[in-house]
Amino acid sequence: MNTINTIIINGMSFTLPLFIMAIGGIYSERSGVTNLALEGLQGVGAFFGALAAYIATLQLGSKSVAPYYLAMIFAMIGGMLYSLVHALLCIRFKADMVISGVVINILAMSLTAFLTKSINRTVFGAASDKIILGVSTRFTVPGISDIPVIGAFFTNVYPFEIIIIVVAVITWYLLYKTSFGLHLRAAGDNPAAVDAAGIDVSKIRYLAVMMSGALSGLAGICFAYSISAKFSSDIYVGYGYLSIAALIFGGWRIMPTLLACFIFGFARSAGYQLVQKLELPSAYSDLVMILPYVLTLLLLIFLAKNNQAPRALGEAYDKSKR
Amino acid sequence: MTKKENGGTEHFKVAVIAVLLGLLAGAVMMLILGKNPFMAYYNLLQGCGFMPKSKYAGGKSILTDLSSYIDFLTPMLFAALSVAVALKGGLFNIGISGQMLVGAFLATTIVGYSSLPAVLAKPLVIIIAALGGMLIGALIGFLKARFNINEVVSSIMLNYTAEYIITFFINTKYVDPISRQSKEISKASRLTLHQILIGGYRYDLAISFILAIAAIFIVRFILERTVLGYDIKAVGQNKEAARYAGIKVNRCITLSMAISGLLAGLAGASYYLGYFASMQPKTLPSTGFDAIAVCLVGGSSPIGIFFASLFLEIIAKGSTYMSSQAGLEAEIASVIMGLILLTSACSAFILEFLNKRKKIKSEKSQKSEERQGGGN
Repeated sequence: MNTINTIIINGMSFTLPLFIMAIGGIYSERSGVTNLALEGLQGVGAFFGALAAYIATLQLGSKSVAPYYLAMIFAMIGGMLYSLVHALLCIRFKADMVISGVVINILAMSLTAFLTKSINRTVFGAASDKIILGVSTRFTVPGISDIPVIGAFFTNVYPFEIIIIVVAVITWYLLYKTSFGLHLRAAGDNPAAVDAAGIDVSKIRYLAVMMSGALSGLAGICFAYSISAKFSSDIYVGYGYLSIAALIFGGWRIMPTLLACFIFGFARSAGYQLVQKLELPSAYSDLVMILPYVLTLLLLIFLAKNNQAPRALGEAYDKSKR
Repeated sequence: MTKKENGGTEHFKVAVIAVLLGLLAGAVMMLILGKNPFMAYYNLLQGCGFMPKSKYAGGKSILTDLSSYIDFLTPMLFAALSVAVALKGGLFNIGISGQMLVGAFLATTIVGYSSLPAVLAKPLVIIIAALGGMLIGALIGFLKARFNINEVVSSIMLNYTAEYIITFFINTKYVDPISRQSKEISKASRLTLHQILIGGYRYDLAISFILAIAAIFIVRFILERTVLGYDIKAVGQNKEAARYAGIKVNRCITLSMAISGLLAGLAGASYYLGYFASMQPKTLPSTGFDAIAVCLVGGSSPIGIFFASLFLEIIAKGSTYMSSQAGLEAEIASVIMGLILLTSACSAFILEFLNKRKKIKSEKSQKSEERQGGGN
């Protein structure tokens, strides 16, 4: 019983950040911009968020909850700003979108590592390659949390999980129920038609990539606040790529993608519980870590064939070819 | 032929511009931090044995640094060739790091910990590492050809899978309790003659460097002069057209990834059983990612790659010395590398920009000629 609760609690706190990042990816890719940069975007977002939280904590003291929410906001801003590089490269400079994404990731890793060290040394006077955040506080909803199994979804919840759910609902509405969402989805399938309707394809794509930056940044700071309790190069362990796998698995649609994220999140937390239950040495948790990755590959084997990617995905839109 | 040569010089121009822009951006960053960029770049050269240092420890000389630099360069040559072969086939191999790990891990455990004599051990290391890398590469190619799985996604998944599995085995079976890395391999199986004494000075002689040079010409030969190379390039340029031309597209995809993986395996051997003699758990070698930069700057041609890695590896190798001399974080080297990557990803745009300028210039001169003609 207790095990199932732990699996659910840990599973949810991994699933939701993954999901919100995947939504970012869906925005970008549905608008026609291939986005492998999610990994880098979440890292840079987490860096900005962690830095903001660290500075705010110095000012406001460790009791204040403001740094936590400031971190969320700055992570989104940071991710968004950094995503502009990807947008510029793909839309303005017509770089190969796959290569651009990978480049953005490599640069993100070295840039944040460098900045963390430099800022720690010059501003805070300490030689360190990380920014300590501590694990976020959690809350339990009284009453509902006593129901077996279902109650676990309301036990030890990170506040960011609520933020993510709210943001996810808003982004779902925006993508499927507004004219902006319609234009965005059309830009990825038939940009020429969007252009003919008098809508600026580039502008839509810029906005979509920025959206993916903001959402990835949010996801990044959530990982930093839950799994690693700090910002360091530990953040780059492939969360971004996992969410890309999730969105491919979900066929570039939000609800099926959620399902994929659930599978990854729960496979991971169940694996960890298994290692603990069997009282295996900690080295075995390394073996468990491969579960989401292997699962992704296996699932893709069955699903990739029938998957319909946005038709104009990965192509820079060239007006003159209309 | 002339057209191709033109493309070569044009690409060379673009690559130089991209690299200069990257270096410039790096210099600006250093200036912001209050450091002298010229001195820092000079330190990079000193660290690689291209420029003399002010003092050397006993038994070391400028040639020691140079030999160590060549030792460091060798894995990058293989890795960048690996990127190039896949790229020619229209595939993006970002799984080189994982393939390096797998090849090197198999070679380490099978040969590195055995007591085989050097004559047997060294060739075996090369063969096993190459096969290990090839297997993973072929798997990625097969998944792409058969199941339409994006090679970027599958190779990244395999990267992490390989990393964690190998970490598990190192930590449970082969760990050295002091260094927290895998136990050192036997001297006989190491591909680098480490710190050997010649004429009073010590050198790191990389045997695999000779193999890397050979690989450059072999890859060039395969791509330019064989049917297989032609097929791979045809598939890379237009899959559908290649299919109509009767080329077995799926076979080509698997094969080009297999060759790419083979080269990555060799990169792993020369890295973990050459430059190093042990493997670090929980780390993907950055060589696999930096190789993408090297390949892009080198225009994914084997010869271009040679010069690109010769140049770019100075930044990576010299960074340790630079950070000790200039008081800059060694990470700035990878930032500069990343910036160069960024600018070289825009090479298509730079090319377009150059062409546009050329056009404007020629139009201008035409106009002025016309005007002169009118005057007469």
